[in-house]
Amino acid sequence: MHNMRATATPYIVALLAVAGVSWLSSVWLDVLGLASAALLFLLPVLYAATRGGIGPGLFAALLGAGAFNFFLLPPRFTFRVHGLDNVVSLVVLLAVAIVTSRLATRLMAREAEALERARMGEEAAELSAILGAHPARSALQGGLDLVSGRYGDLVLVSEDALQSIGAAFSSLDLSAAAWAIHNGDVTGHGTQVMGTADWTFFPLVQKNRPASEVAALARPANGSIRRANQLEHVRQLALLLGQCRDRDMLEAERREREMLEQSDHLRRTFMASMAHDFRTPLTVITGQLALLANTSAGAGEALAAAQRLERMMADLLGAARLESRSLTPSFESLDLVDVIAAACDGTTLPPHLLLTRTLPADLPFVKADPVLLHHVLANLIDNALRHAKSQVALAATQEDGTVCLAISDDGPGVPQAERSRIFDRFIRLEGSDQSSGSGLGLAIAKGFSDAMGMSVSISTATTGGACFTLVFPFAERPCA
Amino acid sequence: MSRVLCIDDEPAILRLLSVVLEHDGHEAISAASGREAMAMLARGGIDAVLLDLGLPDRDGLELIASIRSQSAIPVIVVSARGDVAEKVAALDLGAADYVTKPFDGEELRARLRVALRNGRASQKGGELVHGPIRMIPDRHEAEIAGQPVALTPKEYAVLQALVEAGGRIMTHATLLERVWGKAHRNDVEYLRVAVRALRLKIEADPSQPTIIRNEPGIGYRLT
Repeated sequence: MHNMRATATPYIVALLAVAGVSWLSSVWLDVLGLASAALLFLLPVLYAATRGGIGPGLFAALLGAGAFNFFLLPPRFTFRVHGLDNVVSLVVLLAVAIVTSRLATRLMAREAEALERARMGEEAAELSAILGAHPARSALQGGLDLVSGRYGDLVLVSEDALQSIGAAFSSLDLSAAAWAIHNGDVTGHGTQVMGTADWTFFPLVQKNRPASEVAALARPANGSIRRANQLEHVRQLALLLGQCRDRDMLEAERREREMLEQSDHLRRTFMASMAHDFRTPLTVITGQLALLANTSAGAGEALAAAQRLERMMADLLGAARLESRSLTPSFESLDLVDVIAAACDGTTLPPHLLLTRTLPADLPFVKADPVLLHHVLANLIDNALRHAKSQVALAATQEDGTVCLAISDDGPGVPQAERSRIFDRFIRLEGSDQSSGSGLGLAIAKGFSDAMGMSVSISTATTGGACFTLVFPFAERPCA
Repeated sequence: MSRVLCIDDEPAILRLLSVVLEHDGHEAISAASGREAMAMLARGGIDAVLLDLGLPDRDGLELIASIRSQSAIPVIVVSARGDVAEKVAALDLGAADYVTKPFDGEELRARLRVALRNGRASQKGGELVHGPIRMIPDRHEAEIAGQPVALTPKEYAVLQALVEAGGRIMTHATLLERVWGKAHRNDVEYLRVAVRALRLKIEADPSQPTIIRNEPGIGYRLT
C-alpha cells in the first residue's frame, strides 16, 4: 500500500504542476508571450524527472506538451497542430524530461549510495562500540543481538560445533558452511555458491590462522533474496564479531589457565604439607627406634617396618603427582654412574644378596630429571631386591645413540601373561611377598619414565628372573 | 664438646635431636621459633645450628640468610620436604649441609662433624688433606693414597674445591661458578665430564665411586 502511494505521488504532483502551469500561462498569456509560456512547461518536467525519474518525467513532458497545445497554441482549446514549432516544443520537452531524469536518477543513486555507506559505517562503529565492552562474552552477545535485530538471525558457529547444532542446518547448509570454512568464500543464500541454502555463511578468518568458524545469517523471513552489498556489509560486521569472539576465547583461556594454576598451587601446597606432616612423626618414630634397636630385637623389627612405611608414603606421594599430572621434569645432563651410585646408597642390601654393576667407561651422559630418575631407579632396584634369590645385576649399554639400563634379578620372573599388567597400580603377582612394597613402585617407575620420554619394558633375564630395561633417548657423547 | 642450637617447632623432634647429639657429647639447645632462635644466637656461645625450614613464624630460608649475615656459624638444614630446589636454595644461601627427615642419626652426626670441622680446615703448610687425598695447590700436586696423580687444571680445581669443603656438599652451581666462572653456572655437562675424568684417575673402580659422591639434583661431596 505504502509502496503504491510512493510510486504514484510524483505522477500526481506532475499532473497538478502541469495543470497549475497551464492555468497560470493561459491567464498571463498576453503578458508572457507564447515562447516564455512554453518555457514554463519545462518546470513541471524538470521537477517530475528529478524527483520521480524517467516515468514521471516523460509523463509530465507528454502532459505538458498536450496542455501547451490545447490551452495555449492557436487554435487554442484544440489539439490540432499547426506548423513545425509545435512539434519542436514537444520534442524539446521530451528531451529535457529524458536527460534530466537520467541525470537525476544517477545523482539520486549516488546520494542513496553515500547515505547507505554512511549508515553502514555508523552501524559498524556502533557495533565496534558494543563489542569493545568488558567482558568479551556479554559484549559479543550484545553485538549478536544488534546484528540479528537488523538483518535476521545471526549465529557464530565453530567447525566442531556445526554438526552438534545440526538441527538448525540442512545438509546443504552444512556443505555451504564447510565450503566457507575451507575455501574462505561467503557461501549459501544470496551468493553464487549453494545459493539455495537457507543460511548465508561468512568465514571468520582469525589472526594468522585459517578460518575454523563461520557466522551464519538466516535468509530473510519475507522470502526475498539478499543483495550482494548487504551481504558484504554483514560480512564486515561478522568479522568484527569474530574478533570479539577471539577475544572472548582468549579471556576464557586465560581464566581457565589461572584456575588451573590456582588448583595446581593448592595441590602442590597440599602435597608438600602432607609430606611434611607424615615425615615429622616418622622421623620421631624411626629416630627413637634406631636408638632402641641396639638393645632390642623388637625395636629393630619396628624400625624396619617404619622404614617400609616411609617408602610407601614416598610412593603414594609419587602416585599423587602422577595422578594430578603435575609432573614437569627439569632435564639435566646426568652420568649414570652418579645416578646408580645414589640409588644403591639409598637401599639396604639384605645380607644374602649380591648387587653387581656393569657400566662401560665411555658411556654417554643421559638427559633426565635427576630426582625423578632417582625415584625410578630406586623403585626398580627395590623391586629387584625383593624378588631376587641371590643377586641383582645393573648393566648399562649403548646402542644406536640410545643408552639402555637393565636391572635384572634371579627371582621367579614375570610370566608372559602378566607382563602387560605389571605396571598397573596395586598389582602384586600371585606368590609374591604380599607384605612388602606398596604395589605402586612399578607404576611410578613407568609413569615417571613416561614423563621423561623414557621407556621401561620387561623381559626375561638370562638367569630366568625378571629384567627391566630403561631406554634413554637423546644420549649425549661426553665432550672432553 | 659443642653447643648446637636445634630449631624445630616439633618438641618430639627436638627431644630426638638432643638424644642423637648427646651421643657425640654435644650439648643441644632448643628453639621452637625463628624469633627464639635469633635471640639465642644473639646471646652467643653457639657452635652450630640445626634448622628445620618449616617454621611457624618465619621462612627458614630467610632465617639462614639472616644467620649468615651475622656470623659464620655452620647451619645444617633438617628438611622435611623432599624438595630439591629448596635444598639447593638453602645451600646457595650459605647453609653448610642438609639432611632429610626422617634422618639417620649416624648420618646427622657425620654431617655435623664435617660442618664443625670446617671452621678449622685441615690445612698444614699449604697442604690440603681429606681421607686418602693430599693436595699442594701452590705446586699443583695431588696424591691419592701416597700415589701422585696428574690432573688437568680443571680437574685439579674441582678436586681442590671438594677437598676444601671437607665432606660438605657443594652444589653443582657453586662448583661450576668457582671452576668455570659465573657464565657457566648452569653447564652441568662440564662438571660431569671433569668428575668422570677425575674418577678415572682417583677411584679404584670409576663405575662404583667411593670418593666423589653425587646427590641427585643437588651436588657433589667427598666421603
